[in-house]
Amino acid sequence: MASQGVTETQLPKEHLSPSRLAWRAFLRNRTAVAGMLACAVFFLVAVLGLVVTKGDNPVLDPRQVRLADKFRPPLSSPNREAVPAEDLPRLGIYLLGTDDLGRDVFARMLEGAFVSFSVGFVAVGIAVAIGIILGGIAGYYGRVRIGVGALRLMSVDTLITGLIDVFLSFPSFFLILTVVAVLKPSIWNIMIVIGLTSWTGTARFVRAEILALREQDFIQAAHALGVSGPRVILRHLIPNAMAPVLVSATLGIAGAILTESALSFLGFGVPPPDATWGNILSDGKNFLFDASWLTIIPGTAILIVVLGFYIFGEGLREAFNPKLRQQV
Amino acid sequence: MRVKQTLILAPTLVSLFLLQSYFWVPTFEDQVKGDPGRLIRYIETSIGDASILNPTLAADSASAAINGLVFDGLIDRDLDLSFRGRLAESWDIFEEAYLVVDETQRLPDGSAVTADRLVRHLERARAAGNPALRLVEKIEIVPGGSRVEQIEVAAPGGTPSKPHKRKVQVTVHQPPRLKFTQREVDQDFFIKLNRLLGGYADRIDPTRFVEAVEPVVTPEKAAALVPPTEHNPVVLFQLRKGVLFHDGHEFDSRDVQFTYEVITVPENLSPRVPDFEPVKAVKPLGRYTVKIIYKRLFEPGFQSWGMGILPEHLLNRQRLSEEAIRLGRDPNNFSVRDSGFNRAPIGTGPFRFSEWKTDQYIRLTRFEDYWEGAPNLHQYLFRIIPDPLTAELTFYAGTSDAYGAQPHQVERLKDDPRFQSFSRLGLGYSYIGYNMRRPIFQDVRVRRALGMAINIQEIIDYVLYGQAERTTGPYPKQTDFYNPAVKSFPYDPEGALRLLAEAGWTRNADGWLEKDGQPLAFTLITNAGNEIRKAVMVVAQNAWRRLGIKVETLSMEWAVFINERVDKGDFDALILGWAMGLDADLYQIFHSSQTGHFQLNFVGYKNPRSDALMVRIRQEYNHERQVAMARDLHRLIAQDQPYTFLFVRKSVMLLDRKVVRMVRDGDDTPRYLPIVPDKLGGITFHFNQWLKTAQPVLTAN
Amino acid sequence: MLSVLLQIGWKKLWTLFFISVISFGVIRLAPGEPSQIDPLNPRFTPEVLERYRKAFDLDKPLYEQYRLFYWKLFTGELRSFKDSQPVLPKLVERMWNSLPLFIVGTILVWCYAFPLGVASAVRRNSFFDKITTVIVFALISVPGFYLAYLLIIFVVQTFHVDVIGLRTFGREGIGGFLNLMDRTWHVVLPSVLGATAGIAILSRYVRSQMLEVINSDYVRTARAKGLDEDTVLYKHALRNGLLPFVTMIALLIPGLVGGSVIIETIFAWPGIGRLGYEAILSRDYPIVISLNFFAATLTLLGTLLSDLLYMVVDPRIRLEKAE
Repeated sequence: MASQGVTETQLPKEHLSPSRLAWRAFLRNRTAVAGMLACAVFFLVAVLGLVVTKGDNPVLDPRQVRLADKFRPPLSSPNREAVPAEDLPRLGIYLLGTDDLGRDVFARMLEGAFVSFSVGFVAVGIAVAIGIILGGIAGYYGRVRIGVGALRLMSVDTLITGLIDVFLSFPSFFLILTVVAVLKPSIWNIMIVIGLTSWTGTARFVRAEILALREQDFIQAAHALGVSGPRVILRHLIPNAMAPVLVSATLGIAGAILTESALSFLGFGVPPPDATWGNILSDGKNFLFDASWLTIIPGTAILIVVLGFYIFGEGLREAFNPKLRQQV
Repeated sequence: MRVKQTLILAPTLVSLFLLQSYFWVPTFEDQVKGDPGRLIRYIETSIGDASILNPTLAADSASAAINGLVFDGLIDRDLDLSFRGRLAESWDIFEEAYLVVDETQRLPDGSAVTADRLVRHLERARAAGNPALRLVEKIEIVPGGSRVEQIEVAAPGGTPSKPHKRKVQVTVHQPPRLKFTQREVDQDFFIKLNRLLGGYADRIDPTRFVEAVEPVVTPEKAAALVPPTEHNPVVLFQLRKGVLFHDGHEFDSRDVQFTYEVITVPENLSPRVPDFEPVKAVKPLGRYTVKIIYKRLFEPGFQSWGMGILPEHLLNRQRLSEEAIRLGRDPNNFSVRDSGFNRAPIGTGPFRFSEWKTDQYIRLTRFEDYWEGAPNLHQYLFRIIPDPLTAELTFYAGTSDAYGAQPHQVERLKDDPRFQSFSRLGLGYSYIGYNMRRPIFQDVRVRRALGMAINIQEIIDYVLYGQAERTTGPYPKQTDFYNPAVKSFPYDPEGALRLLAEAGWTRNADGWLEKDGQPLAFTLITNAGNEIRKAVMVVAQNAWRRLGIKVETLSMEWAVFINERVDKGDFDALILGWAMGLDADLYQIFHSSQTGHFQLNFVGYKNPRSDALMVRIRQEYNHERQVAMARDLHRLIAQDQPYTFLFVRKSVMLLDRKVVRMVRDGDDTPRYLPIVPDKLGGITFHFNQWLKTAQPVLTAN
Repeated sequence: MLSVLLQIGWKKLWTLFFISVISFGVIRLAPGEPSQIDPLNPRFTPEVLERYRKAFDLDKPLYEQYRLFYWKLFTGELRSFKDSQPVLPKLVERMWNSLPLFIVGTILVWCYAFPLGVASAVRRNSFFDKITTVIVFALISVPGFYLAYLLIIFVVQTFHVDVIGLRTFGREGIGGFLNLMDRTWHVVLPSVLGATAGIAILSRYVRSQMLEVINSDYVRTARAKGLDEDTVLYKHALRNGLLPFVTMIALLIPGLVGGSVIIETIFAWPGIGRLGYEAILSRDYPIVISLNFFAATLTLLGTLLSDLLYMVVDPRIRLEKAE
């Protein structure tokens, strides 16, 4: 199928490029477009959250404790007698209720959106970077043999696919849990560990794509022109192998957000004061009987966003797969 | 189409099979479905597993819960918190006091002191009814002797916090002593005696009795080796006869002595050492009498005998060696702590150990030969459920019988007809402590003003859902030591400002308080992970800011908080709590000698009057006198406000309503009684009478 | 053929070696002396430190430590820090407890994923297809513990019935049938929750595989021959298209450990996942390392098995590998 895609690139210009074709196919899939919109909204909310909740005197203060107003259900108005005027929520109403310390859940969700979003993006960024580098090396330099001295033990490809096998063998969640527990949970550790354990998918895709692409004429031509190896990989091979990477990155973000919430539940998530949707959710579950919105709001938010990413990713996958696309 | 049918049938059948199993499992209302034995099995859940089932070594509450059922102590506390005999049938507390015979001195009549003359002199005074000797029953002479000892002295080098030490050998010439046996413990005995003897005791120079090669022996060291006067309180326990361990071996005085020895062996690393350090000796007098002699006056030591008693015949040196050899370990390096006993204990308690599945459950079975009669319940199951919400749900499903409600749940659950609830005021209190080494906190007015600025009632109402009470001082409110006459100060920010103004802190142009150009600024710290403390921190910060105090807050991880800040006295103000015992001793927390690094008076509280009271309280064996002094101490501390005393938390225990007490009348008919809480609110006092009924039998709560 | 097998085996052995190294190395990630791995623990007494040194032979060179660790593990000498019980029997016991969850979960996955996937593929782009797509993805998008709590609370509050643990705790001395039903009931919720992700993922695979097959030449031929739609779909398409899925049985094994941590913790299920979580919480490193190692080894065996199955099922693979 990959070869089919490439043949199309070499067709005369009036034909649409494969990515253009894929995009058209994608737009026709309305579920997937809805998913994409959910992701876009999430992105906007995260950026907005960063803007309105950061700084010394934010517009919406997620850390303002109002004990007199704890466990207020969504849409309730504040208790103006017990809460000092300067502590009242700016919106004049608790849009999503308050938590056990009387903090505004709306503000916390906004703050958490950005943190959750960064956990997802940074973790996937790390995973994709490692995946592209190792996949690229395995695909391009795969036949080079390495070893000690004159002893050539194995090829680069064997080594990297071996490494992939090793990582695939570990129960990844348990491995992440172990490492985070040993290193102490911090937002950076969590991003890095999730990233370090989820690059295998990307690496495999990139390797497979490059293996298929490297024998193509345009690559041979680049070689003939004396373009260096890394340059060929970066300028010619990777961009052409980007589609599956994009798909797996989209799914990866969803996975990272879920992993973070699971870690939070087990007590190894992003520690306070950083709010993430995961730790808002796992803190809220202790009050499930008395303040169910503390669980339902972050739970539903995670559900919608992750679902958005999955459907978006799945839509992309279908759109990029010519075999499935043709029948649309 | 077979394939198509299979695709539809398979999931349907599998689902049906799985779901129909619901009809075969018990529900909360029908817990005995298929198993009437459920009623004689009591199930309790715990977040954490027990660690070591040995009362001398355990330090966690889960282990304590099990040990309390498997082992019996010599004593425990009755419903009204007074002491009650368990393995001890009765006890007697008296005193043996020693006075050195100093032959260099003269008696008031001018004759040189000898042991005999001193005795005769005192006997005459006693016959004359001298009040100093009112309690004395017997005066004996203990002959002296010589012994060689090693003492530690300072060596050159080292730092003040870690001085170098070296050992020096000294010869101690112990002079003869008079031994006074007194009916009661009297901490003022020697003061009165000294007055009678015209300051005799003050003139005794202990350095004369210690001989060393070098002049290294200070008077303090000498006094420790040869104390001129010595109080030795004595507890004489009469043990219950015929009490059996779970293996059928009879309990006797040897077991008491052995249990004490286990604690004193350093390799065992017993956490109970501080409780038993004041004990000088434990001597069996026959099979059923034990004499406990204390080194010094230490009243709180008595309650430690509520600790479970170990079976000597299973853990003695020989048995340990055998076990070590069986396990292929070095017998000389094998202590009680290494023994398998700690995972399969044998005691004299109402329940015997039967099974322990790590992180799953511990099963105890009733002991048929229990000295007080076997419990009604046949089994006690201690189930470990790490997740609190899950534990709560097992309670609603009838697979656990008790549940400790969280504050925010109390309102919803306490009137639920399915359950019975018991509210209990805790023993610990929370406080804000001020480091009195810092100049700003040295003024009591500042400390008082800071307390007045905080609306503590609001914290109780909103953070703790009313599940707490205000407290004014360092004692648990249920004890007699708590002084109800001490009133809590009102919430009064205006008054606080006035007090601060008196102390010289006035508002500057920007509204911040300052004195001599210095702003009133400090940092309030607490440990991370405790939501209540976090909330208090925020409330206090806001309240103080409103007065014009610049307050930074910081919450840090427990280890850092304790090791780096609290233990080193490196903080301004902190939020913390104390878990108190039932005794009156506050020496470690508030005495001025306890302000060093790693000691508990980390706020640096110093008041000579409190100091004197604290020393006298721990030496007082008479309850009324102790109570009077403790109340004075409470008042003093409340005046000095080293802490802002915040609140004592309440906890609410829920039980399935079907759990009741059952006793049998003379004609063996069962009679059902409600569960009665003790003075602390604990409900397990009558645990051996508990039973579950298939349907509720008692209506009123 | 033999050489292919040898080649595969050789590769797996290497993988196993790296797995063992990584498992062992993970806990050494902590900065500084491994003996001070947890300065936060106030109970990190010299005694514990000593035990740590002894268990991991810290005084020996690194490769010796590694060798001794695995030697002790397999000779049963390695003991848990927590209760001084040998690690190996403990793992095996917990594994047995997890097995019913795993088996019922797998049955549910296969029972539901195929009908769902096939139905979606057959009615591609229909409303049914879209709604199942969304639902299936929603199932894997919910944080597992959130779904679990909602479900447990619903069941307990509505039916007042126990769902926590292997069986109704404290119910003893019941007959074989009641016992079976009791255990079955307790397996329902956790296995359903454990199966959601599997159902979602597998049904998507089935759907896309079916789609490819439906549009393949031989199915078109079958249709052209005038066979009725059901025969075409369920006899020709399904059989050929889904044969490769047989090999996926083996790939479900990793779920035995990783996927069960949260579910087993919530349900207080004394299985392998909860053992792992508890070991992590109490820094019981012998258990943590062994568990990572065994889980990875199991997965490795699973992939080996699936490779072999695949070779049996699909002869083309054999050629490719031998190439």
